[in-house]
Amino acid sequence: MTPLAFFLLLFGNVPIAIVLALSAVVYIAESGNTVLFDSFAQQMFSGLENYGLLAIPLFMLTGELMNEGGITERLIRAARVFVGGFRGGLAWINIVANMLMAAIIGSAVSQIAVMSRAMVPAMAEEGYDRGFAAATTAAGGLLAPVIPPSMLFIIYGVLAQVPIGSMFLAGIVPGILLFLGFAVVITVIGLISPLPRSDRMSVRESISALSGCLPAALIPAVIISAILFGIATPTESAAVASVIAFLLGSIVYRNLKVSDIGRIFLRTAQNSALVIFMIATANVFGWVIIYEAIPQKLAALITSITADPFVFLLIVNGVLLFVGMLIDGIAAIILVTPILLPIATGFFGISPFQFGVVVSINLILGLLTPPVGVGLYVASAMSEVKPAQIFGALWPFLLASLVVLLILIRFPVFSTVLI
Amino acid sequence: MSPLYKVSSVWARLEIVASAGFAGAITLLILLNVVTRAFDQSIYWIDEAAIYAMAWMTFLAASSGIHYGHSVAVSLLVDFVPAKTARLIEMGADACVFVFAVAMLFCCWRWYRPDALIAAGFELTAFQENTLNFIYAEPTTLGINKAWIWLVMWVFSIGVLLHSTANLFLSLASDRAPESEQ
Repeated sequence: MTPLAFFLLLFGNVPIAIVLALSAVVYIAESGNTVLFDSFAQQMFSGLENYGLLAIPLFMLTGELMNEGGITERLIRAARVFVGGFRGGLAWINIVANMLMAAIIGSAVSQIAVMSRAMVPAMAEEGYDRGFAAATTAAGGLLAPVIPPSMLFIIYGVLAQVPIGSMFLAGIVPGILLFLGFAVVITVIGLISPLPRSDRMSVRESISALSGCLPAALIPAVIISAILFGIATPTESAAVASVIAFLLGSIVYRNLKVSDIGRIFLRTAQNSALVIFMIATANVFGWVIIYEAIPQKLAALITSITADPFVFLLIVNGVLLFVGMLIDGIAAIILVTPILLPIATGFFGISPFQFGVVVSINLILGLLTPPVGVGLYVASAMSEVKPAQIFGALWPFLLASLVVLLILIRFPVFSTVLI
Repeated sequence: MSPLYKVSSVWARLEIVASAGFAGAITLLILLNVVTRAFDQSIYWIDEAAIYAMAWMTFLAASSGIHYGHSVAVSLLVDFVPAKTARLIEMGADACVFVFAVAMLFCCWRWYRPDALIAAGFELTAFQENTLNFIYAEPTTLGINKAWIWLVMWVFSIGVLLHSTANLFLSLASDRAPESEQ
């Protein structure tokens, strides 16, 4: 009964957080263990009693402050210094600027929204195909959940009970690999059909662009170095980063007014609650997983097929690619981590950091694939290019991501080398 | 717009404004933590206060999200079926949220047992002996009983009940108001 209720609710347009809670209600009623109703609300509340979760609203606040503070255009100008001035220059600028933005914003969808508005019109004006421009921007957005700070890694860290700071470090090399993968795609596309050439900046313009961007570079520098050297927890570094973002936006760049703060906190509360509420209800859904011993049953099934961690990860990734196409990445990671992680670490000896990185990259690919590709639809809405046209130009980037994913599955060292 | 929907709108507005306030409180508390820790003067209750502020922020914003239609859902089926069927599915989804709200209120009742508390004449020892429920004895580092902090679950449940009922009536009257009041 519970699995039926779960799938009916899931595909019945019911908010996923409520699907989890109602499935648990059905399970309790069915099992007759109604004493669990006495602590149901408390169990939901206790799902949030985790210090690491505080990083979510704080990183969202930093992202909001940076967006409002006019950082995007400065990052794009800075990226132009490094990779402008030759064929395909703007496509390169797009990916480099996305890489820089990823070190500030932890959410792929927010990044795709911001960058699509900024980059697609500029690329189209220079003669790029709009579909290719939107696809490059959307693919660049995939860097956000891999390069720290990553919302997905914070959630995974809380669910998997691994240090969030270490999870951030685990994402750096895979993020660079993903960036290199996209760079190869742009190079190959440029070789097949020459891309438009962009203007080279003068020395004076380059200096101005770099000095304009330099203060903003403080944000990722503070976040990463504070975590790397153990000076602050990810939560504390996010709080400090939000203060720097506010000071930069209001005093240095002068794009941010004190009167904007209320609106920014409102959006922060709304967007972070969307994610954190799912974690609360996942805590009651956890009863279903534990009492039904789902990881153990699934483990028995998988171990009868293979004992090889590589094959296990391949199977898991095959399934998750499909799951990611149907369910939002954050919801999916909340659902699958408690089930699959004990199998990965307990039965196959896979590092929880490698598992987190691989599963996160896998699930974010679903952001750009129909039918539930939120990132694809956001890119389409922001760039005014049809989703099908974007997807037509996007597949080489998705292919590159899959190749990177395979490398990360085969070689755990890429995920664990910095920890 | 029905009077019920108007009440739901006003309540949702209050919820989201309060939750923005809690988001501000989280930021200030963690910053205070950073500063006091830097001077070796850590304040022991800050972490717990920040976590509770986050819980209040989350549950209030989640409830208002029901009014504003701000949620993550798998809309695959709704996108591919004819409009009439899609409306039926959406109505079903609204009904499910309503059932969830009722279930939450039922669970809050069983958790707080206000009936047993009244029957015990608000005598906590008698209440605990009668029910073996120790909810009112749970302390926090903030110096208040945790039952006060947990009250957000009641506020949340009542808010979700209000918004889901308003949404349900609106779907039944097929008179959905624009969701851009924020």
